[in-house]
Amino acid sequence: MRRLPVYILIDTSGSMKGEPIEAVKVCLSDMFSTLKNDPYSLETVWVSVITFNKEAQVLFPLTELDKIVVPKISVPDDGPTHIGRALELLCNQYDAEVRNTNVEQKGDWRPLLFILTDGKPSDILHYNNMVEEVKLRKFGNIFACAAGMKAKKEPLLQLTSNVLESASIDAGTFKQFFQYVSVTITEGGKSVQMTPDIDNPPEEIEIQLDF
Amino acid sequence: MSQLITVKATDGTYFDFIDEVIGSGAMKDVYFSPDHKYVVGFFRNNQDGRSIDRLMNIVGIYRDKIFKQAGGDYFKDYFCWPEKLVEWNGKIGVVCPAYNKKFFFESGMFKGKEKEGKWFASAKLRNKFLPASEKGTWLNYLQICIRIARAVRRLHAAGLAHSDLSYKNVLVDPQTGSACIIDCDGLVVPGKYPPDVAGSPDFIAPEVMQTKTLKVGDPNKALPSIYTDRHALAVLIYMYLLYRHPLRGGKVFNTDPAKDEELAMGKFALFIEHPTDFSNRPNYKQISESEMPQSDIDKRPYTLVGPYLKALFDRAFIEGLHNPEKRPSAAEWEDALVKTADLVVQCNNSKCDSHWFVFNNNEKCQCPFCGAKFKEKVPIFNFYYSKSKGTFRPENYSLVIHDNGPLFTWHVNRYVTPNEKINAKDKVPVGDFHCQRGNWYFVNRSLESLWDFSNSEKKHIKPGEQVELKQGQKLLLTTEEGGRLAIVQFSEN
Repeated sequence: MRRLPVYILIDTSGSMKGEPIEAVKVCLSDMFSTLKNDPYSLETVWVSVITFNKEAQVLFPLTELDKIVVPKISVPDDGPTHIGRALELLCNQYDAEVRNTNVEQKGDWRPLLFILTDGKPSDILHYNNMVEEVKLRKFGNIFACAAGMKAKKEPLLQLTSNVLESASIDAGTFKQFFQYVSVTITEGGKSVQMTPDIDNPPEEIEIQLDF
Repeated sequence: MSQLITVKATDGTYFDFIDEVIGSGAMKDVYFSPDHKYVVGFFRNNQDGRSIDRLMNIVGIYRDKIFKQAGGDYFKDYFCWPEKLVEWNGKIGVVCPAYNKKFFFESGMFKGKEKEGKWFASAKLRNKFLPASEKGTWLNYLQICIRIARAVRRLHAAGLAHSDLSYKNVLVDPQTGSACIIDCDGLVVPGKYPPDVAGSPDFIAPEVMQTKTLKVGDPNKALPSIYTDRHALAVLIYMYLLYRHPLRGGKVFNTDPAKDEELAMGKFALFIEHPTDFSNRPNYKQISESEMPQSDIDKRPYTLVGPYLKALFDRAFIEGLHNPEKRPSAAEWEDALVKTADLVVQCNNSKCDSHWFVFNNNEKCQCPFCGAKFKEKVPIFNFYYSKSKGTFRPENYSLVIHDNGPLFTWHVNRYVTPNEKINAKDKVPVGDFHCQRGNWYFVNRSLESLWDFSNSEKKHIKPGEQVELKQGQKLLLTTEEGGRLAIVQFSEN
């Protein structure tokens, strides 16, 4: 059975301290309990959460859904938002954890990536380089949320066109974000709509491997 | 307090519901009627004229085709069928009966959740998450499959295709062996209403998958139909009886997982248990422990389902996989499943979680699920049918006999089938079997013309009399038209 790896990157810079991070925690655990009730997710989903402020940390590595216990998330009093560093760590984790498909074995589904931030990358040069690195990896879908007045949409748009922008950093925004995450994750088991996306050019050229 | 709202349905009747959303699906928001016996789901998006026309037919003439015919009431438990169409605040709503209580988990970590079929068809979910009390026995799954096949047969007989059969759209209750087809509002009438969906992953027929990227309207695009329903039905049955997917094997078709999936389910789809092409057999190194032993096709080959179903799986996944006309019909599945139920025996191992398995008549007969040897020597009725008066031919149909087990009219007469058309009289056993001190007896309760032809002089066995079963004995069960001859055989284990 293929795994569906899901990476969630969460901003834990100083501005998230207090109410915002508490709201994130609640939404995160609500999302996990929703997913743990969904048979499709329980069968295939593996999740990793990476947090970032000045440093980036793996809160927990790619873990089978039912084994996830969300550890304490700590937030420093202040400090920069190094999203570039977070992406670097993400790429390292991807390389170490995601099973690629090769001619001998079936690998994972293309991973999903979700990023939640209330700021902008303080390490913009590094960020720009890392965006290119992320693009070299085969993510199935990337979704970002820029929450709050200080959040900047533009840098995130380099990564993906799916950016949710919200003026407030509150429970409502986070709830919307994590609901989107769980809807996207559980999509796999749903009926496939009839009309194909005919406007999009093919992602890549198909090469048939005949053995 | 939530308000009570009354709306007028298209059939002129009124419908009340409580203004409080109880759930939201992909397309609809759902509300309860005050007595909780009905729900109404309002489409969030506007429905165009054609969709409304289709829904009108589903609550109207198509519904009548299934439920207003002889035996129609019988199917009320088999479908959750839309009954009325209503409009409220410009939104179209569909009124359906609420799901039966048995289709919700009663306890455990999933309490209150719908029992969608996926929970019970996946090895990993069964092994890791389902409480033992919810799992049911293997015989229950045979009953579930009979019900699904019967419902699909009825739908197809009315000229309708479900178009999105999947374990998400079939609720099951293994404890009672029940199944109910839901989401009937996407029904397809071949040639009349085009389908909205291509199907669900795992169940999309290869020809639909293969032509998925063609534009709607392209004549080469394969659309969901009765033939694709037959594929989905075969996959459902395979998964409920074996807890693995028939086409998900080890073969890599493309290094991109999405492309690989498309080819594995489409153009290059190949049965994992193909008898000569071994290239898609499971790669055991890649299968996690939580999917074992169900994913082991060597320990649990599909032949464990018995000869009738094995033959149909061959047609569905070998001959008919890329050849839709060759796929078995729902009626054939129903027939084979019902006959298979006559071959099951109870496992001798009280801890075996399957409890039942299909008896195989050889000296090494053992439970394919737990490996326990089957010890009892049991009689088997091998049935013969009469083509012309006085001559009988083997029917490829047997009944494995149980102590205290019944014999029914549908065993006695080949014109009687245990389905919605059976009358109350034929549901009563016509006799029963008993084992006393190692000897087996048949007690005739109501067969008027049962004759034992074993000896040169035939013997009439009247109602109330019993006959001891002997190897090679010939019993003419009835002299009526369609009556079968049973030849008794004792098992070789």
